[in-house]
Amino acid sequence: MASESAAAASFLPPIDAVPEAAWLVWVIPFAAALIMPAIGRASHRVTGYAAVGFALMSALSAFSLLPMALAGGEIHDQIMWIEAIGLKAGVLADPLSVIMANVVAWISFLIMIYSTGYMKGDRSVVRFWFWMLFFIGSMQLIVLSDNLLQVFFGWEGVGLASYALISFWYRDKKKDHVGQEDRRVLGLMDYYAPTHAGMKAFIMTKVGDVMMIAGMLLIFLYAGTFGFKELVGDTAWAVEMSAQGLLVPAFVLLFGGAIGKSAQFPLNEWLLEAMTGPTAVSALIHAATMVKAGVFLVARLGPIVFALGAAGILADQFFEIVAWVGAITALLLATQGMTNPEIKKVLAYSTGSQIGYMMMALGVAGLSYQYVDGYTAGFFHLISHAMFKASLFMAAGSLLHVVGSRFMTDMGGLRKHMKKTYAFMWAAGLGLMGAPFITTGFWSKDAIFAAVYESGSEWALPLYVIAVLTAVITAFYTTRMIGMVFFGPKSEHVQKMEEEGHRVHEASVSMWVPYGILAALTIGLGIIGLSAEEGLHHLFEVYLAESFGIHGAEKGTEMASILPGFLQGLNPVALGSSLAAFATGIGLGYVFYIGRHADPAKFVNSNIFFYAIHKVILNRWYLNAIIYWCFVVAPLWLARGVSRYFEKTAIDYGMNNGLQKAVGWSAKVVQGTQTGVSQSYLFVFGAGLLFVVLMLMM
Amino acid sequence: MIIPDYALMQAVFLPLLLSPVAYVLGRKAGPTVAMWFTFAVLLYSTVLVVSAALAEDVTEEHYPWTEMFGEFGFLMDGLASPFAIVIYVLSTILALYSKPYMIHKFKEQFKEEGRSEQGGVEASVSSSTSSTSSTPAAATATAESHETSAALNSYVNAKSGLYFALYLVFAMGMLGTVLATNLIEFYIFFEVMLIPGFFLVALWGDGPRRKIGLMFLLWTHAGAVVLLLGFLMIGLTVGSFDFADIDESVLPPDIALLSGVAITIGLGVKLAVFMFHIWLPYVHGSAPTPISALLSPAMIGIGAYGIFRLVVELLPATYSELSIWLHVWGLVTMIYGGAMALMQDDLKRLLAYSSISQMGYLLFGIGSVSVLGLSGAEMMYVTHGLGKGLLFMTAGIIIVRVGTRSISKLGGLAGKMPITAVCAVIGALTIMGVPPTSGFMGEWILFYGALETAVAEDSMLRTVTFALGLLATALTMSYMLWMLKRVFFGKLPERLSNVREGSWYMTAPMMVLAGFTIVLGIYPDIFLETIVPYMEWVLPATGGGDGMAAMAAAGGGGP
Repeated sequence: MASESAAAASFLPPIDAVPEAAWLVWVIPFAAALIMPAIGRASHRVTGYAAVGFALMSALSAFSLLPMALAGGEIHDQIMWIEAIGLKAGVLADPLSVIMANVVAWISFLIMIYSTGYMKGDRSVVRFWFWMLFFIGSMQLIVLSDNLLQVFFGWEGVGLASYALISFWYRDKKKDHVGQEDRRVLGLMDYYAPTHAGMKAFIMTKVGDVMMIAGMLLIFLYAGTFGFKELVGDTAWAVEMSAQGLLVPAFVLLFGGAIGKSAQFPLNEWLLEAMTGPTAVSALIHAATMVKAGVFLVARLGPIVFALGAAGILADQFFEIVAWVGAITALLLATQGMTNPEIKKVLAYSTGSQIGYMMMALGVAGLSYQYVDGYTAGFFHLISHAMFKASLFMAAGSLLHVVGSRFMTDMGGLRKHMKKTYAFMWAAGLGLMGAPFITTGFWSKDAIFAAVYESGSEWALPLYVIAVLTAVITAFYTTRMIGMVFFGPKSEHVQKMEEEGHRVHEASVSMWVPYGILAALTIGLGIIGLSAEEGLHHLFEVYLAESFGIHGAEKGTEMASILPGFLQGLNPVALGSSLAAFATGIGLGYVFYIGRHADPAKFVNSNIFFYAIHKVILNRWYLNAIIYWCFVVAPLWLARGVSRYFEKTAIDYGMNNGLQKAVGWSAKVVQGTQTGVSQSYLFVFGAGLLFVVLMLMM
Repeated sequence: MIIPDYALMQAVFLPLLLSPVAYVLGRKAGPTVAMWFTFAVLLYSTVLVVSAALAEDVTEEHYPWTEMFGEFGFLMDGLASPFAIVIYVLSTILALYSKPYMIHKFKEQFKEEGRSEQGGVEASVSSSTSSTSSTPAAATATAESHETSAALNSYVNAKSGLYFALYLVFAMGMLGTVLATNLIEFYIFFEVMLIPGFFLVALWGDGPRRKIGLMFLLWTHAGAVVLLLGFLMIGLTVGSFDFADIDESVLPPDIALLSGVAITIGLGVKLAVFMFHIWLPYVHGSAPTPISALLSPAMIGIGAYGIFRLVVELLPATYSELSIWLHVWGLVTMIYGGAMALMQDDLKRLLAYSSISQMGYLLFGIGSVSVLGLSGAEMMYVTHGLGKGLLFMTAGIIIVRVGTRSISKLGGLAGKMPITAVCAVIGALTIMGVPPTSGFMGEWILFYGALETAVAEDSMLRTVTFALGLLATALTMSYMLWMLKRVFFGKLPERLSNVREGSWYMTAPMMVLAGFTIVLGIYPDIFLETIVPYMEWVLPATGGGDGMAAMAAAGGGGP
């Protein structure tokens, strides 16, 4: 796997990797996708094995790059692409992209294995495999490209693949919808068909992409290149842009693309409806591809911007915006995770919220003296989140498969019947909650807390409060989810199922093994989490210094630590609040949903204040409804008005008939003048002559 | 590659000379022979055009004409070759596609005529299309008596002969226009493509086809007359109609401006920009679908070619004065066309409005006084040709197989016609500008050009138009995805449960185009290689690619 060996970075001798491997990582999935329809003529089983095999091949080529990258090496390989404009295509395999590529590749590989079980019996598996491979290929293209234009190809590729996979069940059957049929928010339905959801995702992320392309073009205009290496190499473009006041806007526009793809506020709403896709797709979108693309982009661009600081060009606003967008999203989506009854949606909210953490860390990094602290924290959280979230989603998929409902209220009391899923879900769930000392989630979250706390930015305190509050909520909703699914009495739905003779049973082997592995890794890596993080930290320190010239400020005097030996180097405040947040969240969750000592419904209805808050949160802070009113309902209404009162009247009727009338009328006028009376002709002639004479005299 | 002598001459005139043969073949031997003959003629001509484009950067042929007008020439340079290739490739491919569609149409009309003779009641086309919606025409035709089927056969033969003859002339008119080297020659070809177009619509259109045919003739002819006025102003002042002899500095500034405006307006009608778009939804909606698929992607864009050749190249000073107006006009067209496309229920009308919107992109790009902006605009022509061609062909398959084009009556067809659905999605992606289709390559280059000029001139207006233009791509995406959703996804209505995939004559050409758009999207050099140098030559003040140099130079280039 990707990160555990990071600790060993400095011990490995430099190893050469072949540049072709970096190309193959993304070329293999694309090529495999293209031949899928041909393989699909064989049996479904063969198709599945082939798809998994290709994913493995891609993962292996990514793996072959790992030793080189962990030793701090780098591959940069280019070919001519668009000669007319002098653009090159290329791959850039540096520590950042290679680690990311391995995370993507291996998690995708496990999800592919899971899919062979999950999609069994579906008629359209060929289409499924095509898009899954296309998805992986696009993501790897984003990760390994050496220039923005090529990144954009992958960027739109993941958008396209998500569109196709979210609306995979395009027949819009009732069971594939998300939301509750009878709910209305501000007069709009909160109930979405798969095809609607796919369209929503594609268009909403397109809004981000529009910003991104504007940013890309601005940079290209000044730098004359899209290449990351070239942008770092010569910073004349940045000086020029900064003088024109365009540097921060350009990068903020680029960040707009990340906001769209990573479902950050205010473009977060597509992520929930994306749950209409098969669960394997949700796992892929949330853990390995798509939403991580935005974080990766910020990780790619952040050092470039930060390194400009050495040249005296400050772009603090960029980092402030990144940090705040992340913080707002983290809190906003976490709160919604507390109220939603659909298991996949809870996980989706959680993803958005966790991505918010990563953005916050990457943003805060740029505001602090130790860029590498926040940078490592954000990226480490990306890795640990990828593991536990993929595991949670796949487990949720098993539950959906077994119970046949997406509502947690239709589950309950499943722990005796699905022991493995139960255990794995706890393990991965503890990772999400940040259970102290044994999970990766704890270490990465703690690193983020510490980075925010120590940043020395003027925003450190509010950001820190938000981060801790979000952690409390995270622990609460995760416990709630596990409690609702596995504890308490069996729901009516499950009882009815059992009466009808459907026994609740464990998922098949090909399904539970992948999420079992990831759940085990969450804990296993968690135990060595601190040293893994330190390894990554060291690797990035070298990487940032060598590639971007970013050197951390000298550490001040080490704080006299009150912590025991094995926690040396941790920030005690961050550690304390992390522990407190976890305890509070899980405690509250236990009271309401596991121990069931209090009834959450009664609690919410106990006074008007709680009721109002609950309602606002349940209605998604009204954000979705407002977006629909402003950007769907109103424009359609406007277009209808223009169509009815301008296009159909002024243009169609007015101009067309107007022309006919005008021709008819002019014929009449001409006809009218042909009176045949010589006197009137003479009169007109005389008047004309007089006019001409007068004109000449003037 | 060796180019035969008179390659361009042959490519243009062979289809015209052989069109009577197509007519006779159709009459005597039936639609299949006529179709393959047409295909062969066009394929040969396409090969000539492509090999001429590949062989040299610029291919020129000159033939003596009259004293008064100058010489009759053909010129294929970086500007003309993408247009010429797209026009002929589409024409060739659509010849195949025409056969099943037109036979379907002829049979429908045969029945309609028979019915109106018997009953004496004029059956409107719209009711007859809906009556055949449940049972494909082919099935009912076989049920009819033997006598009728013999009559039907000769009817179909006669009509297909006429159709393919007109088709060849139409294709040749388009090619002639983009290769012309002389104002009068340009005008003649410009009108030549109008006449077969009129007949094709008036004879085999849907709805009130004669009226719509006349509307097409009237509006585009009115535009052409304004264009001619502009030509005469220039030609008579300069004393020659040859492009090569026209030098703007000879012209008095007001004449240059006036003729520039006249030419732009004349071509604007063809381009169907906002306010002049009136004829387009009717004509594209009504024309027989293979012709819609030629009209929309290939023909209307010739307006843009005209602006490139006649305004940008011949009247550069006037162009730089007009550019900002073209830019804004293009933006308005983009947004207006897109908004109207959202409101359509008729599939072909939706595509028609989408074409208006896409022509807005072209005009938007022309209005950006920048090498890459202009190159992007020309790429957009190519890409729109491929994408919209695909989408119109989709509409045709649906009309033939389902019998309706009302979007509200469709749905869930992806499972029934997978090849068509995939091609339609690729076509839609091309129009939306999503990589790896060629649409993206056109779009980013185009918008880069717009941004370049906006920054160089430090113009607020241009910055705003750039931003709105980019946002309009989200609008394009919305109407396209919504259309796809309503046609191909969702629940399959019960009466569509035995719809079949289109025949190979229809799907194979689509697959070719779909492949082409992806290849071009990944490797745009095929066209950019010729386009960019031409644009650099036309706009010598600005250097392409290099931002800094372009900025410095374009600053002084403004009016």
